[in-house]
Amino acid sequence: MKRLIPLLGILLTLLPLPQAIAQEVVVHQKVHQEEISRNTLRAIFGMRLLKWPDGRAIKVFVLQDDHTTHITFSKSILHMFPYQLRRAWDRQVYSGTGQSPNEVSSLKEMSEKVASTPGAIGYLSHSIEHQFETKLDLKVLHVW
Amino acid sequence: MFGNFSKLTLILFTTGLLFLESVRAPLYGFTWSDTLQIHGFASQAFIQTSENRFFGDSKEGSFDFTELGLNASIRPVPDLQFSVQVLSRRAGGGDNGDLQLDYGFLDYSLISNASKDFGFRLGRVKNPLGFYNDTRDVAFTRPSILLPQSIYFDRTRNLALSSDGIHFYSDHRTKYGNFFYELGMGYPDVDDLQTKPEIIGPQPGGLDERLSYVGRLLFEKNAGKIRLGVSGAIVNFKFEPVSPAQETGTIRFIPLIFSAQYNSEFWSLTSEYALRYSKYRQVGAITDFNRTGESYYLQGAYRFYERFEAFLRYDVLYQDRNDRGGNKVATGPKYSLFAKDWTAGLRWDITKSWMSRIEYHYIDGTAWLPVLDNPVGSKTNRYWQLFTVLVSYRF
Repeated sequence: MKRLIPLLGILLTLLPLPQAIAQEVVVHQKVHQEEISRNTLRAIFGMRLLKWPDGRAIKVFVLQDDHTTHITFSKSILHMFPYQLRRAWDRQVYSGTGQSPNEVSSLKEMSEKVASTPGAIGYLSHSIEHQFETKLDLKVLHVW
Repeated sequence: MFGNFSKLTLILFTTGLLFLESVRAPLYGFTWSDTLQIHGFASQAFIQTSENRFFGDSKEGSFDFTELGLNASIRPVPDLQFSVQVLSRRAGGGDNGDLQLDYGFLDYSLISNASKDFGFRLGRVKNPLGFYNDTRDVAFTRPSILLPQSIYFDRTRNLALSSDGIHFYSDHRTKYGNFFYELGMGYPDVDDLQTKPEIIGPQPGGLDERLSYVGRLLFEKNAGKIRLGVSGAIVNFKFEPVSPAQETGTIRFIPLIFSAQYNSEFWSLTSEYALRYSKYRQVGAITDFNRTGESYYLQGAYRFYERFEAFLRYDVLYQDRNDRGGNKVATGPKYSLFAKDWTAGLRWDITKSWMSRIEYHYIDGTAWLPVLDNPVGSKTNRYWQLFTVLVSYRF
């Protein structure tokens, strides 16, 4: 039994912990920002706040409306439903008062685009492989 | 329409800003063309009515309701955006599909930070009225194939559609919720087939747009779970009689709209209530009058299986809130002074770009029936049904 305990410990570290599948807001590494409020984040993903405090343009990247990561991000980070974001973007795009965000088709593309576009913001599911792939180029924003 | 002076101002102003901004642009580290976006939509509806004509010869089944739009926008720097949209709309006798400039303006933001935005839009801007007027011709953004006609009646749509002038806007993001203010002044565009006969009837004479005002205050709580709004306009016209011996007349419309919406994951409840005041003075053959109309609707929508949405709505319009039954009306049927519409419908989002809708209306009254489709009031029927199907594409 005693010999089993370290083995269990190893097994546990391999199991997906709750925070390991959580969503994270990521930005281009040169964005001078470490944390962000939820309401500001909503204004950014709602395409209403268009520049960082230093004046640089914010480039918003999102996944398709029905992508699980997009749905989880909307609900758990923004506290919004994906249909509300879509309606807000449509209202602005078809009245000329705003633009739509840049859409990417996979998490891989998301990490690549955010890492390579100055001023970019997006989100990833915080899984181990993405951390390894992108930790050099991306910065995780703390949401409060 | 633009006067020559404002046209010149617009051109000078645009050129100046463009020059300034193109000098600054390289500092931001990206090029103009990165921000160019092109979007569009195409919708086709089929309409069948039991009685009366709505958008063409609908008693026989009509395909005379088509909406096509194409827009482009570019944001060379974060504070400046140019937007333009052209629209072709065919809707029975009222709209023949000619290309129109739906909007075309520059948007310049003077203040923009995490807690507030302040800026202005110069050019032809969509009027911010109620929840839906700004994008009323885009089927994807409507709650139904036909917008609740009590408030968004299509017969004088051009009065409400857009104005040529300047609009100021301001957003305030606070811990209590977000506030969105818009205030515009300009000239409505009524150079279409339908508006003049709907406003002054078949009599000769001209309608001249005067400076008009529009405004909206929206409040959003909990990321839009609760949305409350109040919006209104003061729309002014001068009536020019054909004979110089007659005095020129004036027409004024003042709509005031209260809007409320609750959004949960599967449910949305929406209601709007409007008071519409009109004042006619010396408008040719029309006896002077002041009148206040009243409208409201209550609508519930339910989303299911991810791609479907069903809704039910009760929508009421009274042309004169002091004579809801139309008893004092001298000419035409009493039921032309009101309309009560029960609507049920279903939306299916086939893909991200394709959407289809089906809906059924049971209507008592003809208050929002287009006059151009039904020139003789006595030939209309009080109780009627309308069935419609729509397919829409957007990108």
